[in-house]
Amino acid sequence: MKKAFAMILALVLTLGLVACGNNGGGTEGSKELNIFMWGDYISGDMVSNFEKENGVKINLSYMNDNADSITKLTAGAGDEYDLIMTCDAYMESLIKGGYLEKLDPEKIPNAIANMNEAYWTGENRDYCVPYLMNYIYVVYDTERCPIEITCYNDLIKPEMKGQIGSIDGARNLFPIALIALGYDPNSTNEKEIAEAYDWLVKYNENVVAYGSTETNMLNGSISCMLTYDGNTANAMAELGDKNTLVIAPFTKDPVQLGFDLFVIPKGAKHMDMAYKFLNYMTDAEVMAGNLVEYPYSCPNDAAVAAASEEYRSGPAFDFDYKTNIFFQKDVGDTIAVYDKYYQMLKVG
Amino acid sequence: MTTIAIAKKKKPHSRLPLLAQAGPVSVWMILFVTIPMLFIIYISFMTRGTFGGVEYDATIESYKTLMDVTYFQVIVKSLKVALVTTVSCLILGYPFAYYIARKPADVASKLIMLLMIPFWTNSLMRLNAWMLLFQTNGPVNNTLMRWGWINSPIKFIYTDGLVLLGLITNMLPFAVLPMYASIEKLQKSLLEASADLGATPMHTFLHVTLPLTFPGIFSAVILTFIPALGTYTVTDMLGGGKVLYIGNIIKNQFGVIRNWPLGAALSVLLLVITALLIFLYTRFAKIDELEVL
Repeated sequence: MKKAFAMILALVLTLGLVACGNNGGGTEGSKELNIFMWGDYISGDMVSNFEKENGVKINLSYMNDNADSITKLTAGAGDEYDLIMTCDAYMESLIKGGYLEKLDPEKIPNAIANMNEAYWTGENRDYCVPYLMNYIYVVYDTERCPIEITCYNDLIKPEMKGQIGSIDGARNLFPIALIALGYDPNSTNEKEIAEAYDWLVKYNENVVAYGSTETNMLNGSISCMLTYDGNTANAMAELGDKNTLVIAPFTKDPVQLGFDLFVIPKGAKHMDMAYKFLNYMTDAEVMAGNLVEYPYSCPNDAAVAAASEEYRSGPAFDFDYKTNIFFQKDVGDTIAVYDKYYQMLKVG
Repeated sequence: MTTIAIAKKKKPHSRLPLLAQAGPVSVWMILFVTIPMLFIIYISFMTRGTFGGVEYDATIESYKTLMDVTYFQVIVKSLKVALVTTVSCLILGYPFAYYIARKPADVASKLIMLLMIPFWTNSLMRLNAWMLLFQTNGPVNNTLMRWGWINSPIKFIYTDGLVLLGLITNMLPFAVLPMYASIEKLQKSLLEASADLGATPMHTFLHVTLPLTFPGIFSAVILTFIPALGTYTVTDMLGGGKVLYIGNIIKNQFGVIRNWPLGAALSVLLLVITALLIFLYTRFAKIDELEVL
């Protein structure tokens, strides 16, 4: 009996070892590049052209939440990934924690030449390359939405019950509540966050569903949405001539501008390819091609200039408060406080 | 004499076939069920890291959080939904199972096949179909409006009602199959005897059919109640991420909120509820009578 058991166990363990040992990838001239990023966020051509040019296989894995990449990075992601997408809000902690490779600017000349300096500043410049950026603003249907929306507080009015579709996530929802209450959107004061929670409870009552905002808008389930500019561009394009969606004419409240950026995790195995990809991605023509499929706002000035007229004059980017923005800042340990209240909001 | 000698001689070897049968299963269960579950229990006593990792500091913090009234409400809400789903599946499934069981074998197998056909597609596909059908400008609303039954579209999606519908359609076969197995075994002569002795059909059903098919009913309860309690795809998709049940909360703890210890503690709680159910079953019937097709 013991013998049979031992044999089976040995077999299982051997199989396990074989599986572990098979992660290939030599150091000289990498043949693979492992990228962790949002799904449905990069054009197939952009990936396959790079693969062809460099004789490399790109393995894309996708995250469900910004938190996923933080979890990976803080657990030491260098063994698994060569490029990880994260957002500006976490950069400070990631740099401080020593989880990222410092970038060599000489290896990414395209980024240096093309990127808008205003969107790539300070210490971040040494550790990340921005990919795309997005405004998180309010869009409503002029024909179906009961009221005109000009500020965040309009969203919690009782008339809006059952009208709103919303993106999700603690660090997307709490800032709008904090602004509505007149506080710093990156507040680290628990009392203010608690008040923001109360505001969000009211907001939550008006929300029909979180996620799938553009689908819900197009199928008539909602008449107002807190969403990304890229999703709005898709929804407006889908409606074409029949478009009745407008970007809420905010007068005072700032909107969030977020960046999705790539970092190289400490100890990445295929650093050479990671650099090559960062340089390739920031090429004006390459990024302009990507914008056709993913029409988000882009911090790459040369790419925007090279992009189609359709992209540049898109109605989803046509609003006049583009400079009245706020960024998600790293709130350090206060993230636990946000998570606590977000959890309460979700448990309901 | 010789036979006894042979029997005695064989005894030391008689374990081998048993081991050959149970060994692989045991190894499988230990590797893929017991060890992961022990790990979940272990994690539930750990601390959450600032960035959501697991720090290996023993604490009962997660279980303390579970005592919080909000979680209690979610658990009660989830139990209610799972209960309603189970009861609906039983009420819909029992007559269905009875009907199939009373058909000739070839017809019965075709009917069972009909029940299973929807399950050849992915459950996400079926859920998406529900969403498309019931969306605000979808076919159901459009038809009702064309017939003049309603003036403005009814909001079906992202309501508790549609979640329940999704759950019931997902679970129904798991209720029908064990009950079918039980009813099929029921000897007709017993029903005839009951009728001969003067029992009304109702009486026969309540005092003969129902008790004899009880193991099937209880398996149906277990097979529908437990998955209904833990499901999150149905509630996520049809509930719009707003109607949260315990399965969603667990998924969120491991996902967006990144509180793995709390997620693990919630999973342990689900385990306890499941174990309680099985224990209850053993009080009513022998465990080996559990009908699972």
